[in-house]
Amino acid sequence: MRRSFPAEDLARDGRFRRARMEDRFEDPRNELVPAGRRGGKLTPERPDAAHAARQLMHGIFVGEIQALEGAGRTVWDFDDDEAPFALKLDMARQCWDEARHTEISVKLGEWMGTEVGEFAETAFLYQAACNPDPVLRLTGVNRALEGLAIDVFNTMREFGLASGDPVLSFCEDWMLADEVTHVKMGSDWLRRLTEHDPERRERALEFQRVVDKLFSFRGFRGEADDNPIQLARTFRRMAGFADTEIDEIADLSEEPV
Amino acid sequence: MADPDAPRSPFAPWDRRELPGLFTVEESARRVGHYAWIEMRLFEALGGWVATVPELDVKTTLGRHCYHHAWHAELWHKRLPELREMRPERLIRAPNADLEAFVAALTEPEAADLTIEKLVGVYRVLLPRKIAAYTYHLAATSRITDAPTIRSLGFILDDETTDWREGEMLLQALVQTDDEVARAARRQAELEVLVTRAGGIAGPGSLGEDRPGSDRSGSEPTVGAA
Repeated sequence: MRRSFPAEDLARDGRFRRARMEDRFEDPRNELVPAGRRGGKLTPERPDAAHAARQLMHGIFVGEIQALEGAGRTVWDFDDDEAPFALKLDMARQCWDEARHTEISVKLGEWMGTEVGEFAETAFLYQAACNPDPVLRLTGVNRALEGLAIDVFNTMREFGLASGDPVLSFCEDWMLADEVTHVKMGSDWLRRLTEHDPERRERALEFQRVVDKLFSFRGFRGEADDNPIQLARTFRRMAGFADTEIDEIADLSEEPV
Repeated sequence: MADPDAPRSPFAPWDRRELPGLFTVEESARRVGHYAWIEMRLFEALGGWVATVPELDVKTTLGRHCYHHAWHAELWHKRLPELREMRPERLIRAPNADLEAFVAALTEPEAADLTIEKLVGVYRVLLPRKIAAYTYHLAATSRITDAPTIRSLGFILDDETTDWREGEMLLQALVQTDDEVARAARRQAELEVLVTRAGGIAGPGSLGEDRPGSDRSGSEPTVGAA
């Protein structure tokens, strides 16, 4: 088995359909949406709420699979000199968590009326987990993407509460607890592995900013009412993000890519 | 009410544990070092394979089992300093080159259509060997002096047995045709040759045979015998 496994080779059964991230970004239909704005906050009042929630749940499902695969590759790809044993233990724990999230989200998808393969999958999340530097990989995945997961799960949890769906809000709340733990892991390893290497730390944080910016594309995530995914400030603080860091992410939704 | 002044043994009336065991501190540490090594190689491989298998149930099972073996490795890591090994990395190694060759062969398959080969290596060859060596350790070591190892073995064997059963059931669900039966058998035979050459996960003597000073009859185990 190779030490580095490209996103193009991720193994899927026949139900899955792969879309390129570039196609998503360059979709001409985006031009019809005012810059920086999408369909609005996910609430039961939105006319397309059911469809949007199912689409988001499918996105969560494939995201969890890729997060599982990414954590697994971090366990395998590095030798003990590159990634300490304790870091690999954390990533193995994350494998279990993401496997559980995959199980939860496939059942929630069925509950909400979607099925595996109804929406296309992009591999961008996994691509962030292919960085050859374990510090950059951990920062991009555990701080940027798991931070995004905090925002997504909290948005979905609130949607469940607002729409009177206790199964959805219950499950999202449990997954939210795991994501806070994963972000803490990322922050902890960033600090420990770059304690005497500020230049490497800055590169890692810059990588995180790039990933954060891509997922704030066209106002997908922010704090305004018309951002579909709402920044979860309270849970982000709980996970160890400073207010200045959260402010930076909030500002990204207004910036062009 | 019982008389508080009446003398009582520190062993409850039903507690039949005895002092003698086959392993010295050093022998127990040597074995624990090999256990840590194989658990590390296994959890790394399971993590790496997650991205390579298309079957969703296999993918999530490997993710879950990856953590189980990582936790086992952690338990063994923590046990080594308690067994007077202050540089655990000195003992965390393969017992011999043959076991390294076995692990290299075990972890070689990558292609998406080789799920059967991946699972056979883990669940029909390695896990049975681990269960055997751990069970022997449990039976042979002093139940009083080496109680912390026994406690870890109990947790680990519980996981190993459950995981082996899940893996075997996945295989039975995947192996459907004559050709797949042959593939599974061929793969098992290839790896059995290698792990047999290695003598098991702790090398020769993994199951107690062929080690100087070992007592296979169990009639006269002595404290300190190695």
